[in-house]
Amino acid sequence: MRPSRWTRVALHLANLAVIGFFLLPLIAVTFAALQSEKSLHADTRGLWPPEWTLDNFRVILSGGAQRGKVFEQATYLPDNIKKFHYALINSTVISVSVTLLTLIFASLTAHTVVRLRARWVMWLLGANVFARFVPVIVLMIPLYVVFRQMGMLNSVWGVIIAETGFLLPYGILILVPYFATIPQELDDAARIDGCSRFSAFLRVTLPLSTPGLASYGAIVFVIAWNDLLIPLILNNRAEFMTLPVMIASLVGDVFAFFNLTMAICLIALAPTVILVLLLRRFVVQGLSAGAVKG
Amino acid sequence: MQAAIPYRFRRELPPGALGVAMNIPTLLTLALVLAYPIYYAAYLSFHKVSLAELRRGIFPFVGLANYQRIFEDRLFLLALKNTLIFTAFSVTVEIVLAIAIALLIDQKHVWTSRITKFLILVPYAVPPIAGGLIWSFIYSFEYGFLNRILFTTGLSNSAVNWAGEPATALFAVAIPYIWRTLPFAILLLHAALQGINQELYEAASVDGAGAVQRFWHITLPLLRPIIVVILVLRTSFAFAVFDEVLAITQGGPGDATWVASWYSYKKGFSPPFDIGVGAASAYVLAIIIGLLAIAYVGLIYRRTQ
Repeated sequence: MRPSRWTRVALHLANLAVIGFFLLPLIAVTFAALQSEKSLHADTRGLWPPEWTLDNFRVILSGGAQRGKVFEQATYLPDNIKKFHYALINSTVISVSVTLLTLIFASLTAHTVVRLRARWVMWLLGANVFARFVPVIVLMIPLYVVFRQMGMLNSVWGVIIAETGFLLPYGILILVPYFATIPQELDDAARIDGCSRFSAFLRVTLPLSTPGLASYGAIVFVIAWNDLLIPLILNNRAEFMTLPVMIASLVGDVFAFFNLTMAICLIALAPTVILVLLLRRFVVQGLSAGAVKG
Repeated sequence: MQAAIPYRFRRELPPGALGVAMNIPTLLTLALVLAYPIYYAAYLSFHKVSLAELRRGIFPFVGLANYQRIFEDRLFLLALKNTLIFTAFSVTVEIVLAIAIALLIDQKHVWTSRITKFLILVPYAVPPIAGGLIWSFIYSFEYGFLNRILFTTGLSNSAVNWAGEPATALFAVAIPYIWRTLPFAILLLHAALQGINQELYEAASVDGAGAVQRFWHITLPLLRPIIVVILVLRTSFAFAVFDEVLAITQGGPGDATWVASWYSYKKGFSPPFDIGVGAASAYVLAIIIGLLAIAYVGLIYRRTQ
């Protein structure tokens, strides 16, 4: 059924409204990141800045060394800006490690859930469904005390371990239904050809699960990159901050004006937004698998 | 299952032992990061733990004193109330919007729907703290993007302090939260729409049902199971909202946006670092969410039967 002309006009307008709502923050962040503090002050009513500049990015990416025209007269820059490259490196190292570790751990467990079906494994799966609901703040208070006693505060490893543990249940829930679609006969055939059970897993299940692993990998990377509370509580020294923690540290800093903070936000959101748009199909599959089945 | 295959390999573990071996990394990580902290949080909530005790490493037992303190604390009760209002508002708005948008992107004859469908995931990918800070620029009284839009389009001539009014601040925090979590709900509903048999609609049209009637009598009843799943999932996550509060209001103005997670965080990690009280309040939150999780598991279990 083709909708009538007026219905279609109404639907176009509805789409326009939804797109506008979804993109509003992206437009706003770009608007503020590409101008100077002076021009934000000069015109507080307009939607088109008198001049555009990339100086905000220059000062951030050079850690305050290159100031450009915009920051020439600035006598004070937030301390953390000078350590911006640490945040960028920490975020990358942590998200990549968490993604790899959870992929390995979760696929090992998902395989045993699908092929073994022992009672204790099913119990483990049920525990994972529950674990998904535990709010991070509940875990972070005891983890802070434990990590403090073990001397693991302010380290990249502490955050990697905590995030891996926190995201593992979700991964198992996404991978189990995916592994279940791979026919047992393929496993059996590999065994007849001389594979051990474990190498059948490595050579048959894993290669056939690439789309499932991509779905889960993309989702974990996004969640790990975006996570605030875990690194916020475990790491407070600038050398160990991640990008979200750095952004949180600038909230309420009177010297970090919107042009600067918005430029940092734009740098922080670019990798995940691009990744998600590129891997759209996989992310969609993973999100629906993790929520419904399990 | 494997019994049908007679082959045995000399250096192979039996299936049971292999299963245990393959689960060792998961079990160790979950024990360290999930199981032990959940137990330890309960332990801490019955002990006096603040900076001095952390330094000495001795936590004196105080019984239910921490719980007594939070339930006598006006701020904690306010935080619970705010959390309830926040959750009820954001989850309701989110589900209504998600159903509408899922139907919208399902329109195959409207080319703009394809653009919407492509962009659906964008808010999901934005780090919540960055999204929150961007919204606080949008809301800003002096420089804000929203006031600029109103001025430029001539809709208003006086600046509005969107996140600064105690009466509306909680909703100013809820909008960015809805913005961020909407994609997930839309995706699930859109996937469920694909599962509805188109012949049902055709049969209803033949019988003279209009679009509204088809929605009420076919679409909505068939979407009900997934709506319930979204309801439970989103409710339990909305109870733990944190990033947007930190980015936009830090609990203010006054105490208008103190929510449960913010209370636990402030108690535990700002002077006087009362970690025992923080743990007790977080545990109350966990128990509320745990009850929701039980409902969720029950629903899933009923669905797969």
